[in-house]
Amino acid sequence: MMDETKSLMALFQSSDDTSDAIDDLHGLGISDDKVVVMTGVPYPKGALGRGLEWLALPYIVLAGAVAGMLFGLFLAVITPHLYRLDVGGHPPVGFPPAAVIIFVFTMMATIVSTFLGVLWEMDFPRFGPAPYHKLVTAGYLTVMLEFPEALEARVRQILESHNVHEISEPERMAL
Amino acid sequence: MSELASNRPEEANQGTEYEERLLLAEREDWEINQAVLQPMMQTGPGFWILVAVLGAIVAWGLYAWGYLIYWGMGSAGINRPVYWGLFITTFVFWVGISHAGTMISAVLRLLKVDWRRPITRGAEAMTAFALMMAGLYPLIHLGRVWKFYWMIPYPNNRFMWPNFQSPLMWDMVAIFTYLIGSTLYLYLALIPDMAMARDNTTHWRYKLYRVLALGWRGTEAEWHKLHRALGIFSIVIIPIFLSVHSIVSWDFAVTIQPRWHSTIFAPYFVIGAVYSGLAALASILVVVRRGMRLQEFLRGEHFDALGKLVLVAGMAWTYFWFAGFIVEWYGNEPVVRELIHEEVAGNLAPFFYLQMGANLIPLVLLVFKRIRTTPALLLVTTLLVNVGMYTERALIVAGSLQRNDLPFNWGTYRPTWVEISIVAMTFAGFALLYTLFSRIIPFVPVWEIKEGRLRYTVRRIGRLLVPTAAEIE
Repeated sequence: MMDETKSLMALFQSSDDTSDAIDDLHGLGISDDKVVVMTGVPYPKGALGRGLEWLALPYIVLAGAVAGMLFGLFLAVITPHLYRLDVGGHPPVGFPPAAVIIFVFTMMATIVSTFLGVLWEMDFPRFGPAPYHKLVTAGYLTVMLEFPEALEARVRQILESHNVHEISEPERMAL
Repeated sequence: MSELASNRPEEANQGTEYEERLLLAEREDWEINQAVLQPMMQTGPGFWILVAVLGAIVAWGLYAWGYLIYWGMGSAGINRPVYWGLFITTFVFWVGISHAGTMISAVLRLLKVDWRRPITRGAEAMTAFALMMAGLYPLIHLGRVWKFYWMIPYPNNRFMWPNFQSPLMWDMVAIFTYLIGSTLYLYLALIPDMAMARDNTTHWRYKLYRVLALGWRGTEAEWHKLHRALGIFSIVIIPIFLSVHSIVSWDFAVTIQPRWHSTIFAPYFVIGAVYSGLAALASILVVVRRGMRLQEFLRGEHFDALGKLVLVAGMAWTYFWFAGFIVEWYGNEPVVRELIHEEVAGNLAPFFYLQMGANLIPLVLLVFKRIRTTPALLLVTTLLVNVGMYTERALIVAGSLQRNDLPFNWGTYRPTWVEISIVAMTFAGFALLYTLFSRIIPFVPVWEIKEGRLRYTVRRIGRLLVPTAAEIE
């Protein structure tokens, strides 16, 4: 028979207590993907003892930049040939103006793809109900856990031993 | 009914006065939230009078623009040979003002300069609004504004495309790119603070902030991705910021007009933009600090550092101006000589000396720490810089065009009420946008300030207690 899963949300005031509690929860067999930490401040890499996930963002940005460059190339180099107006002694395409246009469109696409890429990576916008606590932005470090129900007593004991401020069932609120 | 929700821990429910009584290091996070949000909710009679006055100027400017469209460009003072006047002068000025936002936010973010934190949002907003004002001028200057779509890159019914060999097309795409980039940069860094505002407000503000927060919860993954994206933005936007004013300068430099046709124009324009933009930022911060009682966040140390940056940019501007001037003066070409004479001892002399005085006197004043750290004195000094920079743009644009290689084609320029009204409209429009922005969007980037506090500890060195920043990212 499969174990029932239990979810809890724990609020801490200190990053030391939070990282120690997460370490002990890992020791209890709760894996990293069952723990979500929400904070109102960006903590430095590794401060809470968790690994960072791989990001596709740099590749999205790179793809956007290449697309922008190709579009710029089309506008600056191809379009003068589509309706050719020859002016005596002048080539249809000059390198310096083409360089300006290609550069600007490359940068524009890079910026736009960075923005869209990070929204896509964060799965934004996401306005539906989600587990959250409004005290996150008031400075509390909020740890959301999923674990087999049989471990609940042990989990609560670990959280309380690390000065947890509040333990509750996760409240799903419209964001 | 108050729109400020009481989102604070229950044990901290006693009343708090948000004056200069505490240093940020002694504040709880929820107190910082309230200290930033409270001034946004307070709009007294002074605020509404200001909005009404600025709105009236904008309305008058719109009337003048309508007049210009109806009666044609003849109602402006531009003529042959001065075909660019106050419109293009002000366009260049606004593009210049927009440069400080990127300078402060992107460059200082990359260099991990800590004093940037409370002022980045104000700088980024200044960039976005200044570009919006700048972007109006090509439309106004078209005269037939409804023909604007001819510049959008798609073929017409004869399959002809816009001419991308033209500097005016470079201008349009460069400014559009910078506007998109700076607006997205402003918004991206704003998302966590929108979530903070969402959690602390009610009514229409809650609805607005909820939409703008996009569902932000502050998970580690979200912070990690946001940091990565801001890092990429910071790098990418720097070449854009350098290219925009370079391209604006090439509008002038690729012509064969004497005093415009110069290789130094691009860096000279860029450094002038940084000088005027930083000065404008300092002026705005002094005004907003007082208007929104943000003395706790915008302190003497920030004005001191900003004042030093203005000083350095001003010295660089002086160097570039002199480097261009000495070559022209030594070359002694007849038309250039005539133009220099006009500036130094002719009809343009009052403007020339105003330009030099207003740009150089601040460099002497900003050497003194008292000037840099006293908001009122800094305000006067930095306003003086922008009087000088506006005059400089006017001399470059309208001044230089009065003389050219065909002496029968020399002329003068006098702006009309239409041009002056439209220019006043963009100044008032900028101030109006900024005023409304400061009451709707948290002016101080709260999450960046809290992040900065994480980095600091106070360490004893001998008899001193010294704030020390940790190298974390």
